[in-house]
Amino acid sequence: MTPAIYGILFVLLAPVFGGLLVGFDRIVSARMQGRIGPPLLQPFYDFGKLLQKQARQVNPVVEPLLLGHVAFMAVTGFLLLSGTDLIFTAFVFALAALFLVLAAGSVNSPYSFAGAERELIVLLASEPFFILMMAGVCKVTGESSFAGVLASSKLVAVELPGVVLAFLMVATIKLRKSPFDISTSHHPHQELVSGLTTDMSGRLLAYVELAHWYESALLAAFVVLLFNWSIALGVVVFLVAYALEILVDNSTSRIKWQLVLRSTWVATLLFSGGNVLALFLLGR
Amino acid sequence: MSSLIAFLIAFPLVIGAVLLLVTRASVRNPIVLASSAVIIVASIAAVATFGNGDGVFFGLPNGITPGYAILASEIAITALIVVIGLMNRRFLAPAMALIQLGIAVFLEATGRMPEVDAQRLFWFDRLSMVMVLIIGIIGTLICVNALGYMRDYHRASPMIRGRRNVFFSLLFVFLAGMFGLVVSNYLPMMLVFWEITTLCSFLLIGYTRTTETIGYAFKALNMNLLGGLGFGAAIAILADQHMTLDLAKLTSGPASGVMLGAVALLCFAGITKSAQMPFSSWLIGAMYAPSPTSALLHSSTMVKAGVFLLLRLSPAITGSTVGYLVAFVGLGTFLFVSLVAVTEQNTKKVLAYSTIGSLGLIVGCAGIGTPELAWVGVMIIIFHALAKALLFLVVGTIENRLYTKDMENFDTLLSRLPRVSVLALVGMAGMFIAPFGIVVAKWAAIRAFLNVPGGQGAVMILIMAFGSSLTLFYWGKLLIKVLSMKNVSEYELSIQRRVSRYEWLTESALAVGVIGFTALIGPISDRVVGPYALAAFHAAPQTLLNIEPAMLVVMLAAVLFLPLLALWASRRPYDTSDFYTSGRNADSAHVMGAALGGSRTVTLRNYYLEGVINGALMFRVGTVTCAGVLIAMVVTGMVVR
Repeated sequence: MTPAIYGILFVLLAPVFGGLLVGFDRIVSARMQGRIGPPLLQPFYDFGKLLQKQARQVNPVVEPLLLGHVAFMAVTGFLLLSGTDLIFTAFVFALAALFLVLAAGSVNSPYSFAGAERELIVLLASEPFFILMMAGVCKVTGESSFAGVLASSKLVAVELPGVVLAFLMVATIKLRKSPFDISTSHHPHQELVSGLTTDMSGRLLAYVELAHWYESALLAAFVVLLFNWSIALGVVVFLVAYALEILVDNSTSRIKWQLVLRSTWVATLLFSGGNVLALFLLGR
Repeated sequence: MSSLIAFLIAFPLVIGAVLLLVTRASVRNPIVLASSAVIIVASIAAVATFGNGDGVFFGLPNGITPGYAILASEIAITALIVVIGLMNRRFLAPAMALIQLGIAVFLEATGRMPEVDAQRLFWFDRLSMVMVLIIGIIGTLICVNALGYMRDYHRASPMIRGRRNVFFSLLFVFLAGMFGLVVSNYLPMMLVFWEITTLCSFLLIGYTRTTETIGYAFKALNMNLLGGLGFGAAIAILADQHMTLDLAKLTSGPASGVMLGAVALLCFAGITKSAQMPFSSWLIGAMYAPSPTSALLHSSTMVKAGVFLLLRLSPAITGSTVGYLVAFVGLGTFLFVSLVAVTEQNTKKVLAYSTIGSLGLIVGCAGIGTPELAWVGVMIIIFHALAKALLFLVVGTIENRLYTKDMENFDTLLSRLPRVSVLALVGMAGMFIAPFGIVVAKWAAIRAFLNVPGGQGAVMILIMAFGSSLTLFYWGKLLIKVLSMKNVSEYELSIQRRVSRYEWLTESALAVGVIGFTALIGPISDRVVGPYALAAFHAAPQTLLNIEPAMLVVMLAAVLFLPLLALWASRRPYDTSDFYTSGRNADSAHVMGAALGGSRTVTLRNYYLEGVINGALMFRVGTVTCAGVLIAMVVTGMVVR
């Protein structure tokens, strides 16, 4: 099979993976809160329902920007799996995330705008990590593509323990989980109402959800890069980490954006930066 | 071809002299338009006749030797600086200019200057070719744009005495100086052109002659004269040691001993001119000049002369401590100005910091000096010149229509100035979303830094990781403002119709250029930038030459997405529902019930990270840090070697 087929497979299957993950999330969260929770496939039902509902258009650019957000998320996955340079992929990933910020920011409403600005801070906080991680993976394996890293005899996580540690923190941010969910809020009556999705409804909200599924699948693919023994191991590690995220999500409260930015940068600098520095100094 | 190059230097000088005498716009406009067209054609012709060689050397037509012309030019420049300095009671600049002249006279009088090879005065290779096209096309487009801009500028500020004849004259002299600089091979001759650009930028920055701009103009003059002194000292050392003053010979391979010291001084000159820290403040001050001046200084002239010289010197410093220290000045500047930029609200200043940061990346590339990084450096020069010229001109247009440079006042721009917004989006997409402004260049730089041995490589990658994220943040903020929409009145819509056709013409041309060059990246890499890197470093750049089709498609899509979206959205009737305000809408959408009764208009303000990043402090820290590295660089070159 040519690498492009893996890319196409990602584009087709990632939403299934991401949707199931959200279903799993909702069940586990419900159990933690003493509820039974919805069926596993509930996110897909919700998705279908959102698509049928009427969308309130606040301005003509929101919908295309959200479509761009979904498309570039899918493209990031396609590029990653079809063998494009890992570091380049990290930049496209950031671009994809930016489209959501622009969609929310263009609404020009207080809640959406604040959510958009905070999402931008989330990007600022998390982006250095992804670049460092990809640089670290390339440095360790000497490879520059997904398939190359999987085929490498070097075990990435062993040489990048600091990066693995920082990943846990940054994943929390990317999955918009508490205490780092400053840009959204899944509960009513909070400071941001619903953050950057406040003025999105119907199919617009469905696009956001779909992009989030892609994003989750991408994070899983990143974990596979770190645990490159096999794809299965990587996915299992991701699921374990995700369960941990759910626990953290349900047991912490949201922190201020200043702390999000500072703590993430410090963690990235200390753990990932220190790790990469050590790699270079040891001449790997 | 040699006569074409001579023409490119002489013709703008003549036009500059003519324009000085023309005070009527009806006469000036056709002259500027026609001579710009001539310069564009001549620069394309010069490149077209270049052929496929790696570089050619030639002298003046008919074998004329420069003789005392170089010294005479230096005396003229110095005299001008001394007179203007004394008239304004500023003594540092005249003193430096006199020292500079003293060095030249001393070398000449004591017979230390080596014999000039009249057949190697000029050096035209692929790097000169790129520069000639940038100066010849982008530079002249800015001149044409200024025809419209300056008319509105003086209408809006009647207090400023119009001296547009001087302004346009200076623009053309500036172009002549730049043409001369990028084709010079004989260092003393290059220094003359170097000082011409210094002088022109000084006079352009101080154009309005207010106390404020005069201060900034002298700041720019002092810093660039200091760099010029470094250049002069390098020539003195080389002449005194009977070494070559031939740039091509000097940079044919790694320099050592005394030669490395001279090269370090030349690097110092390049760093001042490209406004790297600790010399960034002169370019920030230049922001107070009319926007075409900013566009010219930032895109096709002045700062590009600095990085041009550094790229020329790159093969001589590669692998040396001097080279690494030069790289750290550049990368340090990139990181610190990016930190400052996220806290800045003045759009022109944000653009300025972004320029300094991009130049920092080029300086970083030149300092390390691998074929791959030379490739990256030239690519950034090309795309930055296009996108930044466009952005400065667009911001100038917006400024003349909305009377603001504040990013916060740019909101709902897409509704108010739809066509201008589309152009702005092309510029921003070219700068940071897609190709070479930042993404591919950063990517390629990180790839190359992975191979830098030892801790330096890791620090460089760390700087890239954090610096890139910061650029994403400030461009993101600007994009949010431009992309937002609202209902506009008939009056607001009529504002856009007052943009002059000169501005539409030039800005549209630059926008087409940004998109066209993105699509043509493959051929440009294969035929121009790749062979340049091969010739300069005697090794072909690896990995980067094969840009995959998938990457190219993504880049093009990314560049086109936002402008096309804006174009489409601006043509649709704006008939949409109000946004959510917790049921506290009062009156219209932008008025909300206040917490303690009454109502307040909604204002939305970007985050400037107050309390987390202190911009002024970062600027100082960066200045001190980079000054330290810079001093270490010169000392290493001069003493330690």
